[in-house]
Amino acid sequence: MTTPNQTRTPKTPALSLTGLCGGFDDPVQQSQQVFRRALTALSEPGTLQTLPAADAPTGIHPAAYQLCLALLDAETPLWIAPALKSEALVSALRFHCGCRIVDDPGRAEFALISPDIDGELTRFAQGSHEYPDRSTTLIVQVGSLEATADWTLSGPGIDGTRKVGITGLDPRWPGMLADNHRRFPCGVDILFTAGSVLMGLPRTTRVEI
Amino acid sequence: MTTAFPDQTTDTPADATGYNFAYLDEQTKRMIRRCLLKAVAVPGYQVPFGGREMPLPYGWGTGGMQVTATVIGSDDVLKVIDQGADDTTNAVSIRRFFARTAGVATTESTPQASVIQTRHRIPETPLSRGQILVYQVPIPEPLRFIEPRETETRKMHALQEYGVMHVKLYEDIARFGHIATTYAYPVKVNGHYVMDPSPIPKFDNPKMHGCPALQLFGAGREKRIYAIPPFTRVESLDFEDHPFEVQGWDQTCEFCGSDHSFLDEVVIDDYGGRIFICSDTDYCNQRLDADARKEAV
Amino acid sequence: MYVAVKGGEQAIDQAHSWLDETRRGDTSLPELSVEQIRQQMGMAVDRVMTEGSLYDPELAALALKQASGDVIEAIFLLRAYRTTLPRFLASCPVETDRMAIRRRISAAYKDLPGGQILGPTYDYTHRLLDFTLLANGERATTPPADDTVENCPRVLDFLNSEGLIESPQGQDEHKPSGTMEAPDAPADLTRQPMDYPADRDLRLQALARGDEGFLLALAYSTQRGYGRNHPFAGEIRQGEVAVEIVPEELGFAVIAGDIQVTECDMINQFSGTETEAPRFTRGYGLAFGNAERKALAMALVDRALRARELGEDIVSPAQDEEFVLAHCDNLDSSGFVSHLKLPHYVDFQSELVLLRRLRKEFEQRREANQP
Repeated sequence: MTTPNQTRTPKTPALSLTGLCGGFDDPVQQSQQVFRRALTALSEPGTLQTLPAADAPTGIHPAAYQLCLALLDAETPLWIAPALKSEALVSALRFHCGCRIVDDPGRAEFALISPDIDGELTRFAQGSHEYPDRSTTLIVQVGSLEATADWTLSGPGIDGTRKVGITGLDPRWPGMLADNHRRFPCGVDILFTAGSVLMGLPRTTRVEI
Repeated sequence: MTTAFPDQTTDTPADATGYNFAYLDEQTKRMIRRCLLKAVAVPGYQVPFGGREMPLPYGWGTGGMQVTATVIGSDDVLKVIDQGADDTTNAVSIRRFFARTAGVATTESTPQASVIQTRHRIPETPLSRGQILVYQVPIPEPLRFIEPRETETRKMHALQEYGVMHVKLYEDIARFGHIATTYAYPVKVNGHYVMDPSPIPKFDNPKMHGCPALQLFGAGREKRIYAIPPFTRVESLDFEDHPFEVQGWDQTCEFCGSDHSFLDEVVIDDYGGRIFICSDTDYCNQRLDADARKEAV
Repeated sequence: MYVAVKGGEQAIDQAHSWLDETRRGDTSLPELSVEQIRQQMGMAVDRVMTEGSLYDPELAALALKQASGDVIEAIFLLRAYRTTLPRFLASCPVETDRMAIRRRISAAYKDLPGGQILGPTYDYTHRLLDFTLLANGERATTPPADDTVENCPRVLDFLNSEGLIESPQGQDEHKPSGTMEAPDAPADLTRQPMDYPADRDLRLQALARGDEGFLLALAYSTQRGYGRNHPFAGEIRQGEVAVEIVPEELGFAVIAGDIQVTECDMINQFSGTETEAPRFTRGYGLAFGNAERKALAMALVDRALRARELGEDIVSPAQDEEFVLAHCDNLDSSGFVSHLKLPHYVDFQSELVLLRRLRKEFEQRREANQP
């Protein structure tokens, strides 16, 4: 049992508020609106969902930033790819969401990454056959998202097939996504962002090129 | 939005009611929202969630209410039905709850609603893309009456060990010549998880298949959320020699004459006299209005 | 008749105003104040606080008033309020060693350091209706000696120092049940759903919130042989303990307030293996306020539920974790049982259609078989 009067481990260093990126003006309504678009994105994979224009820390898409503001809090460990992990982003997320930034992607409930990640998608939490929900949701910043182009999607949420185009993904991605799909019911779920636009690709979606 | 000293994103926007928009606090909503995203990503899988006490009793729609409170926004139009009807007491009570705590517009019209919370029915009017149907679920586990232990049923889902369910249905056939399950009839979602569709009559099961609307399921007491994305394969379990079939009536609706909707039987006198009427009151009214317009023309 | 089933809005409003009137009763009599309930119906208030898992005697008394004395309805009111409260911190474990004791008894020893303190108890009252109270008479009372004891050693610590009983932590069964965020923190089933197998922290929380009647019946069943574990009431103590918190900005513990609790340490049959000497095992119960029946029942059921941890055969309901934990909450059970009052006519109609068809087919078969 813990004893009283124990001292806690020192807290993470204090935040500087100067120049901190703002959060939602109306957290209740804006969180709901962002969530609904994320819900539509993942339940109708490949559709483009547009979020309102908004400021975001340098290098972070407004869509990605708003997803963080809407979905993260002290209960959600977040992993940020080294290339995106700026002081401005970390401070803003700690301030507005109170979320903990973790070093191990396998323990992250959410991860904010760019497509050039090291290694495979299996670096992230995959869930188990008993608890497939205990897997990481990836927010992946890409070059652009379009409704028509070279990928054909099928699966739940899609009436037949749906065409999408995503720029900025390196050639490893189709293979990684196919592997992710094969791992069902385990696997990660992806929210692609480009600027203020959002597209979902859950583990159930089949990608053909 | 970048300012020298921005306001912290706080969770205390209580208005005159003393409660947050749609009752639940923002942290609870975020938790449920994250579960909903996982639920649509793994269709038919029951996501455990930290269900909260609601100001209505467990078993009276607390799961559906938590889902509705989480998805609903100020521009949504809410419809609530119980047994297909908008004016049953529990439907009235839940609709009032959201009108009061979220100030959202409410409707009885199926096509005009963006969010529909239901107990025991799927509306007769086909749903469309963009609509969300929220089911109240008493027992989310389709295998519960075969295996009461959660530790066991969880394993059975993990291994897709669904043979027992077929055995149970087949025992009915051996005994009665028919599958004797008439409501909460199990379905298989996207060829993987066996799912309880909540106690809707099996009459409604075919409406789930390929439905353009998003279907969300909330079980408050059992603390589970699950989902069927739009356009998803939903098959009612059956056998080659005993294909799934829905119930039908020899009668038609006393009011609108419908011969294809789910009918409730109403006893009208002490001598066993009875009439049959649409359980979906909005559908029945729409048909009556259409008839009235035709006559007027 | 059809109209009677529907038309909800008006019916609900009328029901509510009738309920208000019924709750108030005869208006020629003075209204009961919340403070009166708090002072004079203290044990009902304590039960509402315990199972409502919120220590607030005033709100618990209000809930009892609003619920016309229906304890489960009052628990529901308090829980539905509790769920909306922000949580600032988790408190440190309360140190019942340092309890300001009002009552403390041990059935295991005749006398012991700190002594047996009977305190305010119904135990030895003769259950004769007191007609003085009926006449609203104040009975002359001798003021009790103010003999609260502080820093009284616990009976089980005597045994523990001799190695005769297992340590309070029990056996090793540590599966961290906290969150990804804080894996070593005790679990909290008001934030996360129950997950089986449940560790003892989660089980104790569920039992503390559990229905007294249900736990009492289960506890009784263990005494009658359904999972017998030879209990002795090692110690029951009741009194005030300090609740300490460690605010992030201070980094040391400060007292947030004092609460009344009842604690029960049960001593149970010993276990031993080839490699381990036999020793007594424990069952633990804790409840808000004066709630001895609850604490005793909880301790017996806690011990029964430790069957898996102690390597005992699980053969009885009280040892069956899923059975006990899934059914001990009276809001779960009263809600789901009472939901049968809601309309089910769509499902009923489905059954009627099938039943008529089965009967028709039965008749046809019978006729066909008749010569």
